[in-house]
Amino acid sequence: MIENRPWLTVVSHATLMIGIALVALPVWMALVASTHPASAFGVGHIPLWFGDAGVDTWKTVLFEKAGNGIDTPVFFMMLNSLVMALGITFGKIAISLLSAYAIVFFRFPFRNLCFWIIFMTLMLPVEVRIVPTYEVIANLNLLNSYTGLTLPLIASATATFLFRQCFLSIPGELVEAARIDGAGPFRFFFDILLPLSRTNIAALFVILFIYGWNQYLWPLLITTDDAYYTLVMSIKRMLSVTDGDIAWNQIMATTLLAMLPPVAVVIGMQKLFVKGLVDSEK
Amino acid sequence: MTDVVLENVGKTYPNGYHAIPSVDLSIEEGEFIVLVGPSGCGKSTLLRMVAGLESISEGELRIRGERMNEKEPAERDIAMVFQNYALYPHMTVYANMAYGLKNRGVPKNQIEEKVTHVADMLGLTELLQRKPGQLSGGQRQRVAMGRAMVRDPKVFLFDEPLSNLDAKLRVQMRVEIRQLQRKLGTTTLYVTHDQVEAMTLADRLVVLNKGKAEQIGTPMDIYNQPATPFVAAFIGSPSMNLIDANVTEQGVKISDAVTLPLSHEHRGEVVWGIRPEHLVVCDEKNADFALRIQAVESLGAETLIHGVIDEKSGKNEPMVVRLAGPHLPDINSLIWLTAPVQHWHLFDAKTQQRL
Amino acid sequence: MTVTFPQKGLPWLLLLPQLLVTAIFFLWPAEQALEQAFYQEDAFGLSREFVGLENFIDLFTDPLYYQSMLTTLLFSFSVAIFGMSAALLLAVMADRVIRGKLAYQTLLIWPYAVAPALAGVLWWILFDPSMGPIALWLESAGVDWNHYLNGNQAMILVVIASTWKQISYNFLFFLAGLQAVPRSLIEAASIDGASPFKRFWTIVFPLLSPTTFFLLVVNLVYAFFETFGVIDATTKGGPGQSTTTLVYKVFEDGFIGLDLGGSAAQSVVLMGIVGLMTVIQFRFIERKVQYS
Repeated sequence: MIENRPWLTVVSHATLMIGIALVALPVWMALVASTHPASAFGVGHIPLWFGDAGVDTWKTVLFEKAGNGIDTPVFFMMLNSLVMALGITFGKIAISLLSAYAIVFFRFPFRNLCFWIIFMTLMLPVEVRIVPTYEVIANLNLLNSYTGLTLPLIASATATFLFRQCFLSIPGELVEAARIDGAGPFRFFFDILLPLSRTNIAALFVILFIYGWNQYLWPLLITTDDAYYTLVMSIKRMLSVTDGDIAWNQIMATTLLAMLPPVAVVIGMQKLFVKGLVDSEK
Repeated sequence: MTDVVLENVGKTYPNGYHAIPSVDLSIEEGEFIVLVGPSGCGKSTLLRMVAGLESISEGELRIRGERMNEKEPAERDIAMVFQNYALYPHMTVYANMAYGLKNRGVPKNQIEEKVTHVADMLGLTELLQRKPGQLSGGQRQRVAMGRAMVRDPKVFLFDEPLSNLDAKLRVQMRVEIRQLQRKLGTTTLYVTHDQVEAMTLADRLVVLNKGKAEQIGTPMDIYNQPATPFVAAFIGSPSMNLIDANVTEQGVKISDAVTLPLSHEHRGEVVWGIRPEHLVVCDEKNADFALRIQAVESLGAETLIHGVIDEKSGKNEPMVVRLAGPHLPDINSLIWLTAPVQHWHLFDAKTQQRL
Repeated sequence: MTVTFPQKGLPWLLLLPQLLVTAIFFLWPAEQALEQAFYQEDAFGLSREFVGLENFIDLFTDPLYYQSMLTTLLFSFSVAIFGMSAALLLAVMADRVIRGKLAYQTLLIWPYAVAPALAGVLWWILFDPSMGPIALWLESAGVDWNHYLNGNQAMILVVIASTWKQISYNFLFFLAGLQAVPRSLIEAASIDGASPFKRFWTIVFPLLSPTTFFLLVVNLVYAFFETFGVIDATTKGGPGQSTTTLVYKVFEDGFIGLDLGGSAAQSVVLMGIVGLMTVIQFRFIERKVQYS
């Protein structure tokens, strides 16, 4: 800043550190809780420092069973979550790339109508149309299937808009040069458009992966077979065990494991994440 | 042999805007044709119609006798250099130059041979593995030309290729383009709004105004015999002095006070013109008129004097005189001028045609 | 003007997947919701009867629905205002510091990646009246905390959990907004003798208003729809109706209460609200594009 006011700098750092501590508080508590045996709870408080049962608890939930009525291990549910998250991510990116390509680089009747139909999907989150969508999936016999988990969520206007925006920013002369160079629609798509959209695709990948991994209500509704349970939704099932029998240490470990992959993605790919977040809100 | 023929070619946009009414042009093989005109005159549209990037609404385009109207750009055997170069940013210089050949299924070893040859010719050999982002403006310009040249097309199309370069580089590239074109002997269509570029590059010039070809001819023809006041004003720097005048029995009356003697069968309103470099300073008794000096621009090799004639009637007709060498006349002083009759240009005020 | 390819059939082929998915999983259900909203179905789904606007009339004469609306407004604005204030404070501080800016950013943005349901569970346990440390601290400070019984406390809890997750998002956008404020303006203001505090309120904050408005809309949309997981994993709308937001009510009435007609009518109302918010958002974005 302009003036040299050391106390302001100190205040800034202090505020930020307090903020960080508050933001990290629940995760810290959960981490501590997961290292104590189940018997340590219910005696009046959650312990404030690490116990010695951590390795056992984490091993059990990760590889044996998550507990609290869920017999599949977290590791297995992670795979389900991964399948769902990647399915949604790749599905969204693929169909959005294609439709944005059609809308930007071709002229055809009802082009605007198609655009508006896609636009309308922006308006309706799954949460709003949950009952009828469930019925559609039930009618199509897609309950308890990976297809049912992913397919209804891959129609989204956001990605189409983002790619449309990105394609529109490609200079017209470049397209013309490619046409003079003899590139048809397919070559142009693969040789020019995809490489030029690389960063946008990667940024969107990060955002969509988080979105897909964190799906909650949808998998909760359409999976009743624990072979298809995803990690985030299973927490709710774990919590519905009667109060006295809840193994809090296992729930905490499972919760932490459930947030680990997307948090790792955000921290590991911070730059792409920020870009994706800012772009998808344009 | 005629290479490219535009026959009554016109462009009407879907919204009904008639951008180009009708252009007729036939281009000889190896000729360098420059389309020149102010912005919005339709020169780029015309070029893009030849390229196949804009559809042709009326008339016919033939390249080597073959109708091209319905052909894709890639099928016309043309190559184009764009104003912003339009290099593929994610490809190396080599890949940029090779892309068109690759798409045409040219074998790899032939591509390599051609690209290496052209890169050598343009001094790009060192840069082949770089990406466009790592090149200077002049180098990018060269790569864009190289990309056009490797294809060995029937026609080169240039769309204001030098307008993004600085003045010094522009002159250098201008000379280079002309030399390369001579060497390759490829028919060329070149669009620019810069009349110096147009004059120096062209075998023949097409001066466009509002979608119409006002005049087609060699640069010297156009300089010496401009067909319309528009062409007269557009070509030549500084612009030709043009004054609304009247032809009577006594001669050409350019103002209430000044009538220049000339016997011409035409009667009525005309536009009278003379280039600044053709006005001659003389003494008062031989003068056609006096110029009240308002501003002097000394460029060393020449001096431009801006002033007005015909102060008495209050018409204050502006006029520019160009003199060789340095001169330092006083502002507000008078100089006496004659306008030698062999350098006059007369245009019918109504039809705008040369008389 | 964009250059286009001349093919006529290809674009349809390219659009087909998107249109199919949209039609099957969006248009069809939306149409069904619309239709359902005008019918009454018995609890076994055996018969249904056209009832016209009755479902809507029931809805708008139901005090519980109004209560849910108020709950939603209170919840949404609390989340938006608390989340944005905290984020703005942190962003201003992060913009000030020279060293460690990126590290601070990293340590503040990760909650974005936490699923709302998990965020709810974490705070739910911290506040658990029998074993949560925060609840125990509160008790020793004389506050009797029990979100199982006290509706206001349950509301405070879901607001905290939802806000916690959203701070990172607000922080990033505020920080970007702050960094876009031209330095010359701040320098000019300090030459004019404005103190750092005054500079913020007279120069920086007004310049941030597009970001602030944008975030307000985004936060409201977030609080409306995406916090479903927070509520469902913790309070389940209770105690009583104290944390039943409109979106939660659609789910509750439709899936648990099996009042399909009533739930569908609520869906239709919500679709209208979402539509309105989307229009506001896009109006705003258009403006942003124009002025930037």
